[in-house]
Formats: sequence, C-alpha cells, structure tokens
Amino acid sequence: MTIASVTQLICFVALSLTLVLGALGVVLLPNIVYSAFLLAGVFLSVAGLYLLLNASFVAAAQVLVYVGAVNVLILFAIMLVNKKEAMAEIPGLLLRRVLSGAVCLGLFLLLLRVDLTTPWAVPGPTPLGEDATTLIGIHLFSDYLLPFELASVLLLMAMIGAIVLARRDVYSSDVITGEAADQGLIEKERTPLLLESPPRDTTLLEKV
Amino acid sequence: MPASSIDIPLEAYLVLAAILFCTGVWGLINSRNAVRVLMSIELMLNAVNINLMAFSSYIDGQQIRGQVFAIFVITVAAAEAAVGLAILLSLYRNRETVDMERFNLLRW
Amino acid sequence: MTVFCTLAGGGAPAITALQLNAGAIAPESAVLVALLACLLVDLAGEEAASRWVPPICYGGLGTALVLLALQWNAPLEPSFLGSFLADNLAIAFRGVVAASTLLSLLISWRYVERSGTPVGEYAAILLAATLGAMFLCGATDLVSIFISLETLSVSSYLLSGYMKRDARSGEAALKYLLVGSAAAAVFLYGASLLYGLTGGETSLEAVGVALQTSATPVTALALVFVLATVAFKIAAVPFHQWTPDVYEGSPTPVVAFLSVGSKAAGFALALRLLVGCFESFDAQWKVLFTVLAVLSMTLGNVVALAQTSMKRMLAYSSIGQAGFVMIGLVCGTEDGYAAMVLYMAAYLFMNLGAFACIILFSLRTGSDRISDYAGLYQKDPLITLGLSLCLLSLGGIPPMLGFFGKIYLFFAGWADQQYLLVVVGLITSVVSIYYYISVIKMMVVKEPQEASDVVKAYPEISWSLTGMQPLRAALVGCVLVTAIGGILSNPLFTWANSAVAGTPMLQHAIAASESAVAALG
Repeated sequence: MTIASVTQLICFVALSLTLVLGALGVVLLPNIVYSAFLLAGVFLSVAGLYLLLNASFVAAAQVLVYVGAVNVLILFAIMLVNKKEAMAEIPGLLLRRVLSGAVCLGLFLLLLRVDLTTPWAVPGPTPLGEDATTLIGIHLFSDYLLPFELASVLLLMAMIGAIVLARRDVYSSDVITGEAADQGLIEKERTPLLLESPPRDTTLLEKV
Repeated sequence: MPASSIDIPLEAYLVLAAILFCTGVWGLINSRNAVRVLMSIELMLNAVNINLMAFSSYIDGQQIRGQVFAIFVITVAAAEAAVGLAILLSLYRNRETVDMERFNLLRW
Repeated sequence: MTVFCTLAGGGAPAITALQLNAGAIAPESAVLVALLACLLVDLAGEEAASRWVPPICYGGLGTALVLLALQWNAPLEPSFLGSFLADNLAIAFRGVVAASTLLSLLISWRYVERSGTPVGEYAAILLAATLGAMFLCGATDLVSIFISLETLSVSSYLLSGYMKRDARSGEAALKYLLVGSAAAAVFLYGASLLYGLTGGETSLEAVGVALQTSATPVTALALVFVLATVAFKIAAVPFHQWTPDVYEGSPTPVVAFLSVGSKAAGFALALRLLVGCFESFDAQWKVLFTVLAVLSMTLGNVVALAQTSMKRMLAYSSIGQAGFVMIGLVCGTEDGYAAMVLYMAAYLFMNLGAFACIILFSLRTGSDRISDYAGLYQKDPLITLGLSLCLLSLGGIPPMLGFFGKIYLFFAGWADQQYLLVVVGLITSVVSIYYYISVIKMMVVKEPQEASDVVKAYPEISWSLTGMQPLRAALVGCVLVTAIGGILSNPLFTWANSAVAGTPMLQHAIAASESAVAALG
C-alpha cells in the first residue's frame, strides 16, 4: 500500500464520518441554527469527496453554490422566521418517528442490496483528471446544449418569481377598475386569512 | 493521479449516498420546521450527486457525463431552494409560523 | 446548422459537425420570445403591462401552435444531438400544452387584476411553465427530462403561491414545493442508477438498451423510482395527496393549467419513459399502472361525491379522469395510444370550459361552493349552459366530445382484454355522472325562491371590463368545441391515429407486443 492510497483512505473515512454525523445532526438536532451550520459541514465534506473523485470543477461549484449560496440563504431564512415558537405536542409523535425510521431503514437495506449486488461495469476507462473541466465545457455546448439553455430560463424564472413572492407590496386596488383588490376569490367555508382584509359582503360568508 | 481512486471501491460511495438519501427521507417525513424539510431535500439531492459523481469517475471516466448531470442538479437545487424560501417567507408573513403541523388550512 | 467542437485535452470526444436541427424547437422559441417580451413590457408599469401583455401572449402561443402544425409529419431527425425529438406524439402533446396555456391565459386576466397581483410576471411565469412542459413532451435524454421537468415544476410552485396575501395559496405552494422537490429527488436517484447501469450514457435510447440485459433488483428499483415521479406528475392514486390541496389553494386559472397542461406533459413523459425505455419490463409496469388506474378511478370519483367546493370536486374528478387515460397507456395497442391522445385533447376543452365557468361565477359572486350555484339558470343562462355541457361531457354523456373520447378508451381496453380496467371504468363513470348531474340539477331545477343568497344577490351581467371579453371568448369556444366536437369527431380520430402512426417509438412498441402475441398464439 502506497502512501498515496493510505492518505486517500484516511481522507475518505474522515469525510464519510463528517458526512454521516452531519446529516444525522441536520435532521435530529432540536436547534435549527445548529442544523444549518451542520448542513454547511455536510456540503463541504461532499465537496471533499468530489476532490477524491478527481472532479475539482464540480467540487468548486459545490462549495460556491451550496455553501456560498444555498446555505447562506437558509441561514437568512432562519433569521427572518426566528420567532420563538413552542411547537404544540402531538400525540403519537414518537411512534410516528420510530415507524418512519423503520421504513427508512428498510429503504436503506433495499438500496444497500441493490448497490452491492449489481455488477457495475468497473473498472471503466481511466479517469480524465484535470482535463475534466474542459470536457464539461464541451458537453455543455454540444450534447447538453438544450438543457443548458433551458436552465437559464429556469434560473431567470426562479429569480423573478422569488422576488415577486418575497417582496412585501401588492397592489391595493385593481388597476383597471380601481376597486379594492381581493385575493379571497378562492372561496370556501373557512374565513379567508388575509393580512389586510378587503371590505367584504358579510352576508355571503354566513351562508354555508 | 487518475488511477489511484480505484483503491476505494465504487460501492463505498454508493453506500454513503444511500445513507445520506435515507437520512434525507427520514428528515423529510419527520421535520416539523419547514426550513428543516427544505434542508432534508438538499440532503437527498446531495446523495444523488454523490451517486452521479461516483459513477462518472469509476464507470464513465472519459466522458464524465455524470459530472455535467451533477452540475445541472446543483443549479436546479439552488433555484429550488430560493423559490422554497421565498414561498416560506410569504407564508410566514400570513401565518407567523413555520410549523408544518399548523399548515392545516387545507386538509391533507 | 452544425456545431464544431475544437478538441482539447486527451480523451475529449470526437464531436465534429453534427446536426443540431434547432428548427425542431421553433415553437418553443416563439413562447420564449413572448416570455421575454412580457418581462420587458412589464418594466413600463402595470397599466402598460395589462394592456400589452395579453396580445404578446396570444401572438407567442398562436405562433407556437402554427409552427407545431407545420412540423406535423415532417421527416424525423433527432435534434440537439439527441436531447430532443419532435415526433408526432410530441407535437400532439405540445399542442395540447400550448392550447391549454392559451385558454388559461384567456380566462385569467380579469382574475389576476382583480386580485391586485402583477400581470406581466404572472404571464411570464405561466409561459415558463409552458416552455418546460413543451420541452418535457419531446425530451429524450435524462438530463433534458430533468431540467424541463424542473422548469415546469418550479414555475408551477410559483404560480400556486401567487396570491401571496392569502395564506391558503402560500400553504398550497409550500406543500406542492416540498412534495414536488422530494419527487424530483427520487426521480434523480432513479436516474443516477440508470446512468450507472448504462455505463455512462444518459440518452433514453441507451438506457433502453442497457435495461434489456441488466440485473433485476436495480432495474426494478429504478423503475419504481421513475414511476413514482411520473405518477406524481399525473396525480395517480396513491401519489395524489398533493392534488386536492394544491387545487383548492391555488388561484383558479393556475389550477386550470395544472389540471390540463401539466398533466398532458406528465402523460407524454410516461409514454416516453415507460414505452420507449422500460420496454423490456412491459409486464411489470403494466401491472403497476393497472393498479394505479383502478385506484385513481375509484378513489377520485368516489371522493368527489362528498365535496362541497366546486374546485375541490374538479380536483378529485381530474384524478379520476387521469385514471381513465391510464387505460390507454396500459393497453399498449395502436388504439390505446390514439385514445390517450384523443382523450387528452377532449379533456383540454371540456375541463377548461368548466374552469372558465367557475372562474366567471367566482368573479361575479366571490363564491366557489356548489350549494351557491342553486337556481343560477335564471340569473345567468350562459354559465348554466356552459357548465352543464362541460360537466356532461366530463361525465361521458353522448353526444358530447367526452363521450367519444371515453368510449374509444373503453373500446381499446376491451379489445386488449383489459376487462378489469374497463369494468371499473364503466362503474366509476356512472358514479361520476351522478355528481356531475347533481351540480347541474342544483343549477337548473331549483325554484326561484330556493335559489341561494349568492344567486339572489347576483350582480348585473356586464362584459365591459378589460379581461372579460377574452374570458367570454374562451368560455364560448370551449363549450362549442365540447358540444359540436362530439358530432364532428371524425377529424379528431384521424388526427389522434396519425399522431400514433407518425411516432416510431410507439410503432416499435406496438410491433413488439403484436409479435409477442403472435408467438403465444
């Protein structure tokens, strides 16, 4: 065993441990802020695994997008919705957790069986190493051109939509008629929960 | 060093991905905080990415389509997270809660 | 048009001078141009937007429909180096998607303005959803499928949360997003296994070839994972839980699009994945889909009986309708596929006609309860007539369009000896007729004094406001097609059959199943 492969093994074991423990922490810790920071740890160790797999470009993208953007976004969201809130006790919660844990364990055993019994076509051709970045560029502009272009539409829409939904202002009146705007058009038995309830004809609501 | 990654078997990565995926599924079912549900989904997507990257390196070393696929997954995950948090924020303004059990205006 | 790739590095692929065939996505380009134009016009302010956005959308979608018609029966070339294929099946489903967007936009202008939400962004997001759905109908590569699926889904989440001052809308969006993202992750896990199986290919063709020779556990798992996503998209029981909530909470015009456009794209995806790719697992997925179809027809139609809200009733009935369409998918014969295409086209008109009526009613009264429709025929004959015809058609009463669609599906199922499906379909059709008729009875046979308070206080009928004329045009158009299309349905039959005949993938599957039957007999 060479020094290189021992180092690699140690790195793999260390990264796997952080990954698994971090992931368990994300779903189990009661404090959501700790979860968010552990999630960053998970993302970083995944990036480390990519480096072990000879994929430096994707590792960099993982750090930039997941840790730099997604995780920061999640932290912002936690700060914005951080009102202390006593979650009401729910009967049978523990039972539900154990049951779903059993289901997930079953799923894991199934995946494990599939992963271990399938004769994967290894070893394949030798990995490219550092030329991978060039090849990714070639792929994006040849056989993955269509998804690449469509992804730009997706990102544009996600950006515009997120701004539309997250900004506070809405038009208070109908642009055409000038009547008060009314988002309670989706009508049903329960009283609509509007922030600023528009004046409504109460007789309509009393009828079941 | 391209050839050296053969020392760790492909299955090790796949099992790791399976653990991560199942953890994500468990979190998805059991989390009461909506932000944590979003985090669980990110865990599941990362599990998929590990799978793709492992296959890409071990089976598809010359074409690395898996790496390109993983980049697309990262892109979409970011867009989905942004949209999810925007929706969560607009809902929080109306309901003042992020507890999944209290999002019960609509019957499941 | 050709792509030239300079080769860099050691093992780069030798892609030189391959055909791009970008002409295949000309209809999508028209939609994309309309989308960008909407966003630009929106910069000029809300009043400019409400004036110019509608014509831009009509122009874009109309051009797309014309371009699609021109592509019909064109010589078939894979475009974008195997990412996209514009066969007749794809064209038919893309046409249904584009038409459903056009009709949903026609019925939404007044609704969107009334609710004080920006029109420009609304149209842009809906067009993006259309773009995703149209690409999904023709995508032939796992990556393209994933990206177009997500474009459709992300836009749909945004649209369901568009009434952001109403908590129900936000709640529907959040639930849709969480369930939808989880479904996407499951699909991706399946796709990653398929990628590993093929030894590094992502095109559906390569996946199909690899599946013919590979081990069972992994393929079964990939099949289940992929099938779950498809079932989620077409809202088949038991993957339907999101449907009633999302349909109830989302803005009604969005529901109209989701129930037709998004579902049509889901069926196109199902055909492409299951028939084109999991062909060697024919027997397995057909059993699974038989179960899904029986459950969907039963649960959808039975639960719809108990609903008091019009939208929720239509949500459950759409689950049932998806169950009927699945009969055609399970048959796998020429008639089965043609019946699917025909029924989707018929469903487009009858369902959007019904939605146009309930949007008009809720705009005039602010109500959505079925009991509030009591005695409506005296105040508003147009809604009463339109809704009655569309609901009768949905229930499959002759001589409406829906009757011919349904009878063709049942005929195809019977010919393929799917007796269980056809019998369940017939029984649940009768159940569905019961609840459709009870709405009509509510509207028509009530005495004047029994009319609901909402109807008694019914406002003066006026079409003068901006956005009301398009709504009326869509309503009348849909109702006319639903009513007259039944009598003149022959061109539709020919169209549906030539859609199947012009699709090599389906022809191949039909030939394979026929030869299997011949070998047995």
